[in-house]
Amino acid sequence: MRIMIVEDEALLALELESELQSAGHQVVGHAMASKDAMNLAAQTMPDFAFVDIHLLDGPSGIDVGRHLHELAIPYVFVTGNLKRIPEDFAGAIGAIEKPYTMSGLQNAVTFLETLVTAENVPISSAPPSLVVAPAFAC
Amino acid sequence: MSQDSQSKQDARDAGQRLVESRVSEDPFAAAFKATRMPMIITDPRQPDNPIIFTNRAFADLTGYSIDELIGRNCRLLQGPGSDPEKINRIRSAIAAQENISIDILNYRKDGSTFWNALYISPVRNIQNEVIYFFASQLDVTNVKNKEKELAEARRMAEKLVDERTRDLKAALDAKTLLVHEVDHRVKNNLLTIASLLKLQARLTTDMTVAGTLHSVLDRVEALSIVQRKLFTSEDVARFDVAEFTRELVVNVVGALKRDDIVVTLDLSPVLVPAVKASPLSLIVNELVGDAVRRGLKDGGGRIDVTVKRLNGHFLIRVDDTVETVDFDREQQEFGRLVLETCAKQLRARIERSMEGDINRVEVTLMVAGEEE
Repeated sequence: MRIMIVEDEALLALELESELQSAGHQVVGHAMASKDAMNLAAQTMPDFAFVDIHLLDGPSGIDVGRHLHELAIPYVFVTGNLKRIPEDFAGAIGAIEKPYTMSGLQNAVTFLETLVTAENVPISSAPPSLVVAPAFAC
Repeated sequence: MSQDSQSKQDARDAGQRLVESRVSEDPFAAAFKATRMPMIITDPRQPDNPIIFTNRAFADLTGYSIDELIGRNCRLLQGPGSDPEKINRIRSAIAAQENISIDILNYRKDGSTFWNALYISPVRNIQNEVIYFFASQLDVTNVKNKEKELAEARRMAEKLVDERTRDLKAALDAKTLLVHEVDHRVKNNLLTIASLLKLQARLTTDMTVAGTLHSVLDRVEALSIVQRKLFTSEDVARFDVAEFTRELVVNVVGALKRDDIVVTLDLSPVLVPAVKASPLSLIVNELVGDAVRRGLKDGGGRIDVTVKRLNGHFLIRVDDTVETVDFDREQQEFGRLVLETCAKQLRARIERSMEGDINRVEVTLMVAGEEE
C-alpha cells in the first residue's frame, strides 16, 4: 500500500516507516502538523494513513482524520490516549494504542492491508493490538 | 363629643356588653384576662374593625396601655419593616372571614420591634354571622433571631465550602493534567526507546548484535503493554494479568506467522496491585518467550497458557510441546535471570517439570488481600 504517516515524533515516524517498508509498503510522506498532513494527503492521495492525535499544532489529528475520511482515504489513529478519540472515531477504521509492540503493529498492519484491499474480511479477526471503531465492529 | 372619642366610647361599650353578657364569675373571661398569652377581640361591625377587648399580656407585649388600645385598629402595630405582602394576606383573610396564621414583624409603642406569631380567627353567632375576630399573639423574636443566625451561619458555611471546593477542584485539575502529561511522556518514551532499539537492529549487520537488541526490545515491549493496560480499568490501582497475557500471547504468536502453532488460553481475571504489574508481566513474558526461543518459532508446536486463582494462590502455567532446537545459551540464561529475579521480588515459586513431551513451568504466588 502507499501509506502516509502523520506523527509529530520524528523518531517514531522514522521507525514506523522502516517497519512499513519491511512489510512491503511504500511510505509516500510524513507530516508533523495538521496543515502539512492535509496538503500531503491531497498531493499524494495515499491508500492508507496512520494518524497521531497530538501533532505539532495541538490535538489536531482528529481534524486530519475527518479530512481523510472526506477524501475516502482509510486510516487508523495511533495514540497514547484512546479517550481523546471522538465516539464516531472521526471515520477511522480503528486505533493502535501507543506504546505498541513490534508484533502488535505487524499484526495490525497485516490485518489492515487485508481489510483495505480484499472484500468480506471478518472484522472479528482483528488482532488485539487494533481497537476497532464501533462503526466497523458491528 | 368628637368623632374619635365617640367611636372609642362605642368600642368600650361593645367590650362592656361582651363582658356583661357573661356571668360575672365566667371562668372563660377570667382565663382570657389572666392568661400570659396576649389576646385581643375586635368588632368588625364597627367602622375600621376596632379592638374592643384586650388582656394585660397584650398590653405588656406592645407597650400600650389597655385604654390606649381600645378603639384602635390592629394596624397600629405595623411599621416600615412589616412585610406589605403579609399585611395584604391578613387583610384578605379578614375580608374573607377566614382563619389566618402568620409571622409578621410588629412595632411596640416605643418603636422597638418584635416578631409576632399572629393567629386570627372569626367568631360567629348562631346565625353564622361574624360578630368578632379573636386574635392571639406570640413573641417569637428569639426563634426568628435564631433562624436568622442559623441561616447566616449556613450561608457562611456554604460560602466556605464553595471556596474550598473551588480550590480543591483547581488543584485536582492541575494534578489531573500533570498525570495525563506524565502518562503521555512515559508512553512516548517507551515507544521511543523501542524505536531506537529497532532502528539500530535494522542498521547492524552483526546477527549477534541484532539478537541482543531484539532481546532487550522484547522486555521493553512487555513493559509497554503494562503501561497501556494500567489505569484503563475502573479500579486504577489494579492490573489484570489475564488481560495482559491474552494480548501478549496473541501478539507474539501471531507475529510468528506459522500455521503449525496451536495456542490454548485458559485465562480468568486475576487482579493484582498496580505495583506488581511490571514484574508479573515480565514473568509471563519470559515463560512465553522461552517457549518461542526454544523452538516454537522454528518447529511450531502446542502452547497452553493458564492464568488463574487456585486455592488462594495465583497460578501462571505454561505448557508446551516444543521440540528444542539449538538455541542461544546466553539468551536463555538472560531469560532465566529476569524470570528468577522477578519471582524473587514477588516471593513467587517456580516449578519446572516434564510430562511425556510436555514441558511445564508453573509460577505460584500469594494473591494480594490473602497475603496481608
